[in-house]
Amino acid sequence: MRGRRFRYSALTLVSGAMLGALLALAVRAQDSTALPEPHGDVLSIGGSVTEIVAALGQQHRLKARDTTSSYPPEVAYLPDVGYMRSLSPEGVLSVGPSLILSEEGAGPPEALEVIRAADVTFVEVPDALTPDGILRKIDIIGAALGVPDKADALAAEVAAALSAALADAERPEGDKKRVLFVLSTQGGKINASGTGTAADALIRMAGGVNAISEFDGYKQITDEAVGLAAPDVILMMDRGGDHGVADDDLFALPAIRLTPAAQTRSVVRLDGLLMLGFGPRTAEAVRLLNDALYARNS
Amino acid sequence: MTAIPDTATLPRDRLSRARSLHWVLAGGLALACIASLQIGATDVTLFAMLAKLAQGEPLSHMERVVLFDIRLPRLAMGVLVGAALAVSGAAMQGLFRNPLADPGIVGVGAGAGLGAILAIVLGTLLPVWMIDRIGNQMVPVAAFLGGWGSTILLYRVSTRQGQTSVATMLLAGIALGALAGALSGILVYIADDQQLRDLTFWGLGSLAGASWAKVLSAGPLILLSIGGALMLGRGLNGLALGEATAAHIGIHVQRLKSVAILAVAGATGAAVAVSGGIGFIGIVVPHLLRLASGPDHRTLLLNSALLGATLLILADVIARVVIAPAELPIGIVTAVLGAPVFLWILLRRRGLVEP
Amino acid sequence: MSLFAQDIRVSYGTRKALRGVSLSALPGEVTAIVGPNGSGKSTLLGAITATLPYQGRVLLNGRDIRDLPPWELAAQRAVLPQASRLAFPFTVLEVVRLGLQSGTAGNRPDVPMQALARVGLAQYADRTFQDLSGGEAQRVMLARVLAQVWAPVEGGQPRWLLLDEPVSSLDIAHQLQVMEIARQFARAGGGVIAVMHDLNLTALYADRVAVLAEGARLAFGAPGAVLTDDILSRAYRCALRVSAPPPSGIPYILPHAASA
Repeated sequence: MRGRRFRYSALTLVSGAMLGALLALAVRAQDSTALPEPHGDVLSIGGSVTEIVAALGQQHRLKARDTTSSYPPEVAYLPDVGYMRSLSPEGVLSVGPSLILSEEGAGPPEALEVIRAADVTFVEVPDALTPDGILRKIDIIGAALGVPDKADALAAEVAAALSAALADAERPEGDKKRVLFVLSTQGGKINASGTGTAADALIRMAGGVNAISEFDGYKQITDEAVGLAAPDVILMMDRGGDHGVADDDLFALPAIRLTPAAQTRSVVRLDGLLMLGFGPRTAEAVRLLNDALYARNS
Repeated sequence: MTAIPDTATLPRDRLSRARSLHWVLAGGLALACIASLQIGATDVTLFAMLAKLAQGEPLSHMERVVLFDIRLPRLAMGVLVGAALAVSGAAMQGLFRNPLADPGIVGVGAGAGLGAILAIVLGTLLPVWMIDRIGNQMVPVAAFLGGWGSTILLYRVSTRQGQTSVATMLLAGIALGALAGALSGILVYIADDQQLRDLTFWGLGSLAGASWAKVLSAGPLILLSIGGALMLGRGLNGLALGEATAAHIGIHVQRLKSVAILAVAGATGAAVAVSGGIGFIGIVVPHLLRLASGPDHRTLLLNSALLGATLLILADVIARVVIAPAELPIGIVTAVLGAPVFLWILLRRRGLVEP
Repeated sequence: MSLFAQDIRVSYGTRKALRGVSLSALPGEVTAIVGPNGSGKSTLLGAITATLPYQGRVLLNGRDIRDLPPWELAAQRAVLPQASRLAFPFTVLEVVRLGLQSGTAGNRPDVPMQALARVGLAQYADRTFQDLSGGEAQRVMLARVLAQVWAPVEGGQPRWLLLDEPVSSLDIAHQLQVMEIARQFARAGGGVIAVMHDLNLTALYADRVAVLAEGARLAFGAPGAVLTDDILSRAYRCALRVSAPPPSGIPYILPHAASA
């Protein structure tokens, strides 16, 4: 509950970083930054926001990003201001942004207050789980960056791709596969997605049925409930480590062994941000998932 | 056999050593404060600003924000929280006559945790106008009420006819901790992903949310509580002999217990409320000081306040620069620094490490 | 000026530990409380020191101890408990100083060392209390108690030493030393009440003896009048004979014969 795993991985991080940081301190004190041009320096917070900035061709204006921003891969070289809900005000100011574009829920509130007090424009981009929502994100970000024309073009492109992907993915109710999105299988316990999540939205957009409709959000569910949900396919994030459970391990889990998915060894792994980010690449995600669900059969 | 050794041949008196330690630690705290104002993610430095001021140049907007809105409130909060945690630890150890006691024993941690979880998970269910008005302060206020409330509840449960049983308090604290843990578990179950991450970060503690508003709301209570605790030195010394003997040498034992518990609940409750769960300061600091200058609480409490504040400020400097522009939760830093020191102390005491 | 305990009653749950016991002790004298295990000796001292809840009245130098705050009581009487555990690694000298904090000798920094010298442990001043043997620890505690009421008479009023089995873990030489300290405190004008297990030491050092049995006072008076075959046999429920050598050639060692 206290994030023990996080603490352990942080231990290694700290012990290595501590010495380096002390050395870096001396160096940093001598750096000097040029005066920022208005909105020439953008801090982007949230994976989909960063993707949209890049898709608008404005990647050169990015000064820094948050931990969840991992696409396009080049943004990994930007300074990372950490987890969006526990931002450090001085850390944020130190990257010298004049504009902060952020997904909903950045914090803590005290940090945002200070950041606003430092004359930094802060634009919040609402979360979205629908094609319209994605278009609205593009619209807001384009306006904030002063490139409404490019935003209109991108929105049109994304809208077309989405409607095409959705049309291709559409199938008759009885023909739809039941998909179980598994967030983690930590310790053999299945943490799965109910309704109201990005995973649920994507499954439906890709022509599947969420095998779980009894609860909202991500929750740990009992082995027997997994059996009752009777998923035809297991959907997971593709990201190595604990979550990259090998197929054998996955289908050996008692909960999963009871499911039709285990009989056919059907598991789909997609990049987390691609799948759940709801940004410019969502049409691609819909196609990928739809292909993975039905390509082999149809 | 009855010859009195010449006092000059006695090793130097520990009490006077502990008293001179006050000045050493105060100096250390001053240096830590300067470091905390000097070092940060931005390249604003205290010295550069002092130089500007000396030459009559105005400060830039950025410099003013970084110094007065970020580093100063953060420093003030670090001093308050560090001193509160260390003094509370020393006072609890004296009260329970156990060098491993910490404020968690009287339910502050469990209660504050439950309060914070309630606010994080159920806070969104409040009507919008309420969230607008108290949103930012909801978690700290709930954490404080939870920590303070559970301590007072424990105190009432273990007090009969004006006598507080320390043993009952320990047992009731375990029961209350389990109950708070279970309630927290229920809330964790219904929490969504984002709330879970918030909970994790709250539990790791941070001074990142420091603001003048928080300093002003928690500061008076923390200072009052520390002040109350600092007056307990003589009483806690007597209590080392046991409750009965403490009374025989003239200590009002029940009053001592009441003041100690109220002070710890106030200081720790307020500290946890504004900074989340920060471990190890309350145990390691008094322990180090006892090794350095003996267990006399008349000096131990003040020295704990000074060293606790110093260590927390230094830990915070590390927390905010190692992975800048992001920052580590400070609870991670105190644990990473505190745990090995603590283990080393224990091993040394068992003779497993050469002193 | 004296110490009166009037009609003291103490119950532990439903068990009556003391059923109305009275005791009067005078300054200048050592008053001993003896009796078998469970007779209420230590309970009586617990009431006199206000350690236990009790019914009845205890007057110390003419004032009800219930009306006196702890620090005033501490200035008039010091209490030596049966056993002492210490929570933190204080040194011997620091422990003795703890007694000084409330006593009226607070302005005399030499008192703790003198008190340690009095119990023969001056050279132990810098040792950690936890490292001492049981007997040494008990003598350090006696030094602490002595430091608290260093002057047997203060402001014309006697001060009191209340000792609960002060010699229980000592060898015979130190038993004599401690009892001698108690007697000298009394001879200098202070009052001493001691709960005693050892009847021989009681006979040697006590000026008055209270014999308790089953929560009641069986006898009270000078040792010669109280330590009799009849009273002791009734109190201890076994046939005892006073001042009678053992029947055969078994050696016996009495403190009376020691030259201190």
